[in-house]
Amino acid sequence: MDVIKQMLTGKLVEGYMPMQMLFELGSFALLFIGAFYFLGKNGIKVNKLAQATGLFVFSILYFTYRIYPPIPFSVRAIYATMTLIGIFMWVSSTEESWKDFRKPIIAVADANTAITKMIRTVVVVLLPFLVGFMGYNSMKPNVDEPIELRTVHPAPPASTKVHGKTFVLQTASSPYRVDDAGKYSDTIQKTHIDGNPWDEKAPPYLQYVREGGQIFFQNCHFCHGDNLNGRGMFAFAFNPIPANFTDPGTIAQLQETFVFWRVSKGGIGLPREGFPWASVMPPWEQHLTVDEIWKVILFEYWHTGYYPRTWD
Amino acid sequence: MATLNKQAQKKIWAFFALGTFVGLLLMPLFLSLPVGASGGAPAPAASTAPPAAQPADAKPVEKSRDIWYKTEGPVIGAPAPKTTDGPKDYPRYNFESRVLLWVANQQHLYYGSFVLAVPIFCMVVEYLGIITKDKALARKYDQLAYDFVKISLTAYSLTAILGGILVFTYLTLYPTFFGYLASIFRPVMHTYALLFVAESGTLYIYYYGWDKMREGFLKWVHVSMSVILNVIGTVLMMLANSWIAFMQSPAGVDADGRYLGNIWHVIHTTLWNPINVHRILGNMAFGGGVVAAYAAYRFLTAKTDEERAHYDWMGYVAMFIGVCFLIPLPFAGYWLMREVYAYRQQMGITLMGGLLAWLFIIQAVMIGALFLTTNYYLWQGLERMRGAERYQKYIKYMVFVLITCFIVWLTPHTMVMTPAELKAMGGQQHPVLGNYGVMSAKNGAINTIITTTVLSFIMYQRGNKVPTVKWAPLGDAFLFGLFTMAYVNIIWLAVYGYYIPANVRVGLSVPQVATTLSCLFIGVTLNSIMMKGAKELGPTVWGQISVRSQYALIMLATAFTWMMGLMGYIRSSVRLFWHVNEIMRDNSPWAFTHTIGFAANMISFNVLFFWMTILFVFWLGSLGVKKAPAAASVGQKVPVPAGSH
Repeated sequence: MDVIKQMLTGKLVEGYMPMQMLFELGSFALLFIGAFYFLGKNGIKVNKLAQATGLFVFSILYFTYRIYPPIPFSVRAIYATMTLIGIFMWVSSTEESWKDFRKPIIAVADANTAITKMIRTVVVVLLPFLVGFMGYNSMKPNVDEPIELRTVHPAPPASTKVHGKTFVLQTASSPYRVDDAGKYSDTIQKTHIDGNPWDEKAPPYLQYVREGGQIFFQNCHFCHGDNLNGRGMFAFAFNPIPANFTDPGTIAQLQETFVFWRVSKGGIGLPREGFPWASVMPPWEQHLTVDEIWKVILFEYWHTGYYPRTWD
Repeated sequence: MATLNKQAQKKIWAFFALGTFVGLLLMPLFLSLPVGASGGAPAPAASTAPPAAQPADAKPVEKSRDIWYKTEGPVIGAPAPKTTDGPKDYPRYNFESRVLLWVANQQHLYYGSFVLAVPIFCMVVEYLGIITKDKALARKYDQLAYDFVKISLTAYSLTAILGGILVFTYLTLYPTFFGYLASIFRPVMHTYALLFVAESGTLYIYYYGWDKMREGFLKWVHVSMSVILNVIGTVLMMLANSWIAFMQSPAGVDADGRYLGNIWHVIHTTLWNPINVHRILGNMAFGGGVVAAYAAYRFLTAKTDEERAHYDWMGYVAMFIGVCFLIPLPFAGYWLMREVYAYRQQMGITLMGGLLAWLFIIQAVMIGALFLTTNYYLWQGLERMRGAERYQKYIKYMVFVLITCFIVWLTPHTMVMTPAELKAMGGQQHPVLGNYGVMSAKNGAINTIITTTVLSFIMYQRGNKVPTVKWAPLGDAFLFGLFTMAYVNIIWLAVYGYYIPANVRVGLSVPQVATTLSCLFIGVTLNSIMMKGAKELGPTVWGQISVRSQYALIMLATAFTWMMGLMGYIRSSVRLFWHVNEIMRDNSPWAFTHTIGFAANMISFNVLFFWMTILFVFWLGSLGVKKAPAAASVGQKVPVPAGSH
């Protein structure tokens, strides 16, 4: 209930934001349809071109100002293009609506009245300027930092050697993701997801989680943050900022062995594909033992509630 | 009685002829495969006398382990050559050899797909002609099937020419690599060549025998021949697939690339079957698209209403068949990717999350474009039915659902942004959009898009009809419930996917797909039954459709072509610097991965080249047309698949 209340007051509620955005978009679309329907019923027929323009402008404003943190331009451009396509599909879906949409455009092109003549003159004069401005804009020297297409998850090697031992990434598994009998278990995390690692009688798995947590807070949280969300105290000194483990696109997407490889080898050990190697993470194999690395990974998954990717 | 006997005799003879024909055609297959499977196709390095003929004190046969199947086998072949950059292994013109090979390969593939798809298309249409009771309509179907075999005949010779060019390109520019491949696949390549002869023979008899086998039982023999034609065509394609599957996920050889005598292992690599299924479906969707584009082109250039009616109908039928195969295509693709991940995690990540991930974003655009275009075409189709206006008011809601899903579908996992934007966002991951960038959201989006496409089709089926069956309200309520539940289920599973382990999440795609397919099969079938004997509010006026719809068809075909080029490139370049993955390294100067821009330009060039040449093929086809196509006068009732009209 509290969540709905917050949503109704216009807040973006953390954890619900993705669905909230879709829900809001749906509500606004219905509002638009309802408003034009209501106006039409009361004898005020809004031309389709005007409706389409209004809808498009609204979508631009929504994606630019409503969603926070701000969406990068490249994604907003994708969204705007999609909206335009959608609007085109809608206005041209029937012959009648298509005619209505084209009517003002054709009227301006024909210029049979004084107003349309004036609009046409303005358009004809402004158009070359607009094209010229766009040309100028694209040719103008740019002093911004260039965009980097960064491969966030480069393909891992088949195996990695840490402290003299070779780990085959496809087959290796965490020695600490184990049940009470000490056997590897896929489901142990689920069993103890709400468990208390500080309980003295905690099962072995939770004890390893606790040890992993201690290692995390001694070594990792300065950058990755005490909520594991990539917002540690040093985080914003780096570009890119450290990985946010609470995001479903980071450790949740990866096998535990992948994370093991990345933690061990750090930014310096990124493969060729990981251009532009812009990661300052140290190769932790120089500071931690193999066991410590596995334990800290165990803690990261337990704390975020995500599960490492596994295969059948 | 005497007539009956004569007929019975004819039937026996026809059966006998067909049996002999099939036997002769399939003989090469039976003859070649056991030879290969028993290891009777030794590679050059080991082409000495067979083991049985060796003296008793001969050196014991060296054994080695299959790199994939882990079975032991006698070493028969030579190890994969270690090439060096130079005229011996990589002779060249003053040009990038890989690009030449790319063009040759892609063009051969386009034509190969077309000539494999069109006979399947013909088989379906000819069969429809046979079972249609209305004789005029049956003739129309028959003529349509005939027209397309005619076109595919020209395309067939082009395919063979392009195949020749491809082999010469391999032999002249990559002789060492091709030599290695040929040494392993020798029996398969011979079988392939012989099957090609069989395919040609069948196609010619099928085409030239059309008039002679027009009536009665002979017509059934004729349509059976189209089945044989398609079986051979499919086997041909599967054999060719085994080569590329071997390059990607080799089996049947040891770690040094030495052939171990089991040809089935070499053919049946782990990715072979997923590629086979994906390609069959893809070819059909592509074939339907090309035919629909042809019809659209003829529609746009038509001078009379009759012509317009005919080509409108043809475009619809082709689009329908194409889309039938488009719908399962994402699922087949999903299976292929799953197998790729299972084979090599690195390969999967390079494809979906790493180096080639940006190309997958482009692929997502194309897939979305295909479904949007299909929906748009169906909505435009409502215009040709009097009485369908009542459904047009729902279009805006469907547009909204499709575009919203498309937005989710297109949101990239790794966003392109300037460093300033990155700082403003506070990291690579966006708290809202980051959730749209992962598989769970994508699965929800694409399943919703497909379900909505099915809904559009059901709406189209209903167009100008009102069901008259007694249980119509119940049926409507059921359909309403089915689609509502489907949407709820798909979206709920997509959200739930964030809270569970990855292997369970991957498994969730099964109920999602099952939901979508239930809507497709149950929804469409139930609707078709309801529409039987339904009251028509007005006629379907073929030809009275906006030109926009025809451009949509052309766009559909172009999107298919572009996407085939793109996915082919992705599949091939995922091997990175390997000719044969982890077995034979590419040591040419072109072992690097092209930039996205270069690849996109190459794909566009290939698409343009294909469309230019296929236009030539269509033009050749139109040269032989002496009269206007069978008239389908305005307002006349003409058949469409799925029994909707």
